[in-house]
Amino acid sequence: MSQQSLNAPGHGPEDSGEDAALAGGQVFASAQAADDLLDEIDSVLESNAETFVRSFVQKGGQ
Amino acid sequence: MKRRVGGLETEFGLVCVREDGSRALEPEEAARELFRPVVAMGRSSNVFLRNASRLYLDVGSHPEYATAECDDWWELVAQDRAGERIFAELTEQANARLAEAGQGATIHLLKNNVDSVGNAFGSHENFLVDRRGEFTRLPRYLLPFLVTRQIITGAGGVVHPGEGEDGPARFVFSRRSDHMWEAVSSATTRTRPIINTRDEPHGDPSRFRRLHVIVGDSTMSEVSTHLRFATTDLVLRAIEGGRALPELALHDDIAAIRAVARDLTGAEPLPTAAGSTTSAVDVQQRWLDHVTPFADSEEQEVLEQWQKGIDAVRTGDRTWAATHLDWAIKERLFTQVAERRGVDLGDPAIERLDLAYHDISAEHGIFAALQRRGQAPQILSEERIEAARSTAPTTTRAHLRGQVVAAAQELGVDHVVDWTTFRLTRPGAMPVQVLDPFATESDEVEALLAEIRGTDGAPDSAPVA
Repeated sequence: MSQQSLNAPGHGPEDSGEDAALAGGQVFASAQAADDLLDEIDSVLESNAETFVRSFVQKGGQ
Repeated sequence: MKRRVGGLETEFGLVCVREDGSRALEPEEAARELFRPVVAMGRSSNVFLRNASRLYLDVGSHPEYATAECDDWWELVAQDRAGERIFAELTEQANARLAEAGQGATIHLLKNNVDSVGNAFGSHENFLVDRRGEFTRLPRYLLPFLVTRQIITGAGGVVHPGEGEDGPARFVFSRRSDHMWEAVSSATTRTRPIINTRDEPHGDPSRFRRLHVIVGDSTMSEVSTHLRFATTDLVLRAIEGGRALPELALHDDIAAIRAVARDLTGAEPLPTAAGSTTSAVDVQQRWLDHVTPFADSEEQEVLEQWQKGIDAVRTGDRTWAATHLDWAIKERLFTQVAERRGVDLGDPAIERLDLAYHDISAEHGIFAALQRRGQAPQILSEERIEAARSTAPTTTRAHLRGQVVAAAQELGVDHVVDWTTFRLTRPGAMPVQVLDPFATESDEVEALLAEIRGTDGAPDSAPVA
């Protein structure tokens, strides 16, 4: 059963890379999205990354 | 088996922190808070839901979600994603209660497989196999495939040099490989195997047995999760087909799985049991070529994606993989972030980023942020995932279990169900057992539903609520 492209953002999952490379506007948009994402990641990482990591200790499962 | 039932069990990591990242609640306490509404509803921290899945609290305070039995791998992905949503909602509710109580604490649920000191927890794949098939023959063929499939479906991650090793932290296809100690055994924790032999078919044991694969990473990408099941299913079908198979048994599965994790070219020679060598790319390519004739028209896309994954490793061109497969999405992201911050991959910021990638919260999760920007796949529609939260798969026994749970919940009728058996907890109630995982109709279940709805004519069966 194929579920392709039902809700793929912008492109079908099959053609995302190639299409973006062909259309200049889309490259610009995706570069901006990447910067925007890195800014969002910065805000997660600024807040005590190391302390957070050390807090995550949990006995093994399974 | 042309039609096969499968299911996915996911154990989540859990951490509860204050604003400054320090631990606010112990995992036991945080899990209790998380499960409060579950216990209120089912009087237990081990319940079956309307979508016929099982939600429970496993050892080590790991929240766990087991999908209902699926015979379609996109349905399985939908059911798995529904489980994430259910736990994400429980987490939001718990965090709201903690905020209201002035606790200044936030619970994070992480769909990953290892904590910061190396405790591991799992993502277990279950496949129904025919009892008559030669299970003893299966591992010989399946193991080389499982050892090397991480180059396609690994979650990616960073490992630090071991004792006596030099060099920087490095990116790997899967960190799971370092937690594998045996090829096949009945153990689950101490000497964790790739294939676990605990035989719980949840069905007629004279017809079926369970193949329990515990080598997989928890995957965030729907494409990665789908490929884990779709490719393994194809390989199983080829093995069951009985024709001559690729003879790729490895000299040392555990040494190989660790070497494969670290070799991002997929080309490193792996010694075979027969005294020659192969490589991760070679094993995957040979299995892909071998199963191609077994794939039907609906599976052509699986073959294409499998090939694209192999090619991404073989050629080093990650263009497709970096927006579709977890390991490649992470490889690109970690590299970008490390460069931007001028740190190496061993920096705590990168470990924090790895955890955030697997955070199932729509607000805190980096995978969700990637999806919003079109940098991670979103194959299933929101509507389908939302529907899977309350709708069981319709083509397996899950359909029956889902109806029983839904009717009993709606009418407030106390009930107990497990994978095979449904029962009302009232005096004299008889359990109904369905041993065929493919069954979607049952007179006994119809009678049970009538009893729940109070339409069976029995005087004492009026709905409680």
